[in-house]
Amino acid sequence: MIKDITLGQYFPGDSFIHKLDPRFKLIFTVFVLVEIFLCKNFLSLGLIFLFSIACGLISKISFKVIMKGLKMIYLLIFFTSALQIFYNKTGTPIEIFGGKITTGGIFTAIFMAVRIISLIFVSSLLTYTTSPTALTDGLERLLSPLKKLHIPVDTLAMMMTIALRFIPTLIEEIYKIMNAQKARGADLENGNIIKRAKALVPIFIPLFVNSFRRAYELAFAMECRCYNGSNRRTRMKKMHTGWRDIVALCVVLLILAAIILLNHFFGAVI
Amino acid sequence: MNDNTLISFRDVSYRYESDTDTPLPLALKNINIDIKKGEFVAILGHNGSGKSTIAKLSNAIIMPESGKVYIKGMDTVDEKLEYDIRQTVGVVFQNPDNQIVATIVEEDVAFGPENLGIEPKEIRKRVDDALKSVGMYDYRFHQPHKLSGGQKQRVAIAGIMAMQTECIVLDEPTAMLDPKGREEVMTAMQRLNKELGITVVLITHYMDEAVKADRVIVMDSGEVVLDGTPREVFSQPDIIEHAGLELPESAKLANELRKNGVELPEGILTPEEFIEAFKFCVSGGNEK
Repeated sequence: MIKDITLGQYFPGDSFIHKLDPRFKLIFTVFVLVEIFLCKNFLSLGLIFLFSIACGLISKISFKVIMKGLKMIYLLIFFTSALQIFYNKTGTPIEIFGGKITTGGIFTAIFMAVRIISLIFVSSLLTYTTSPTALTDGLERLLSPLKKLHIPVDTLAMMMTIALRFIPTLIEEIYKIMNAQKARGADLENGNIIKRAKALVPIFIPLFVNSFRRAYELAFAMECRCYNGSNRRTRMKKMHTGWRDIVALCVVLLILAAIILLNHFFGAVI
Repeated sequence: MNDNTLISFRDVSYRYESDTDTPLPLALKNINIDIKKGEFVAILGHNGSGKSTIAKLSNAIIMPESGKVYIKGMDTVDEKLEYDIRQTVGVVFQNPDNQIVATIVEEDVAFGPENLGIEPKEIRKRVDDALKSVGMYDYRFHQPHKLSGGQKQRVAIAGIMAMQTECIVLDEPTAMLDPKGREEVMTAMQRLNKELGITVVLITHYMDEAVKADRVIVMDSGEVVLDGTPREVFSQPDIIEHAGLELPESAKLANELRKNGVELPEGILTPEEFIEAFKFCVSGGNEK
């Protein structure tokens, strides 16, 4: 299951979305997330949902990959929707399996599900199409005004890059340790929750110890390559704001206008 | 010290800090080593012989307890020279996973030059050149964790090369690799040395790798016990064995056969040489 974590994974490409300035891409993503929350009826939500799908198509990232990322939150979507069905008592009542639910409940449930899927879809598209370095660089530049408040933005960005870099390495290591412990007779799959939680201790202790050693070696290697957290660092990849960013900005703004209009002229579901 | 000397150890001793009150024994005892520009030097030694300490000392990561380490005449103790020293001598470590910083190959290679504050255009050029010279250019957009060990290690080497150091010190770069990965890394190192004239210091415990160097230094418990060409060094099996090392396979086989009366010449080091000599021996010296 841990292997399904696609957080921070990046799929190189040269699509329109890949080529957007990471700073703008970050802003756009936040913008679209807000837009998703602004939607009040199926028309506006449908619009933004289609927009996310379109972005997915433009980015040329396979839908299989995106669906895999959604797998982690199927349960969340299911429960949120199920709760809506039972709590929302507006609309025409329908009787199913001896229980009473309402059309209003079903609509809200669908609405919530689509909303969560769109949210995840858009935000994962950001990490799928932006290399973590570009992402952290973009974040660093966006936050650079904070440097005036003596917040070490560049150091924080470097920490984020390293964290993202080591996620797959550490996941691999967890599997290795788990197999090593299983080979020594550790039982990780049976027993109640407490027993299984206890069985994790011999997995996490070696993981922590190794992580410290890794950190130590990494620090040496970074020092060897003249890293000292100073400001004189330059970047190989300059960030260019181009026509693509302006086009994207227009699209995002148009969608905002459309959502406001649709919200205004058609009834609200929520 | 003449102008050709790149790395110079003068009576260097070093001791690691101990966790207890009793100090640890010296890891290096009064070492004197001179490494010239353009050399391919292998430093051999068993675990704990002090060979890795040499790597860290040559990069100003640790300072000698006594004695001096000079890099192109620069004293490593001088903190102001740290940058210049690290731009002259780069170190590649054993575990490739723990020295790759970025999530994309080319971005990792760019890390060093970025730290030096070099212009983006120039970085781009250096990164491409470095990746081409280790044969990883086609993988520049890949994620490091999806590469094989040998490939990762070559990326790490490219990362140092992009800083355009004159010398690369490799601290057991092949210890965690499979035979194929070792072969890849060895080929890359030989190319750097022969084609680009970069000084290579290879710290290893594989004899077969040391044979390919111009010069071999054998370490034993913090001291240099042998220093010379591979042929000179491996003609002293007693000292080699005393240092906890073994001769290269081909040399060992040749020695055993010679002991049992097969007439093989002295100084066989590589499988190729062995085959040549053995053919000659079997044919009774008639065939050339």
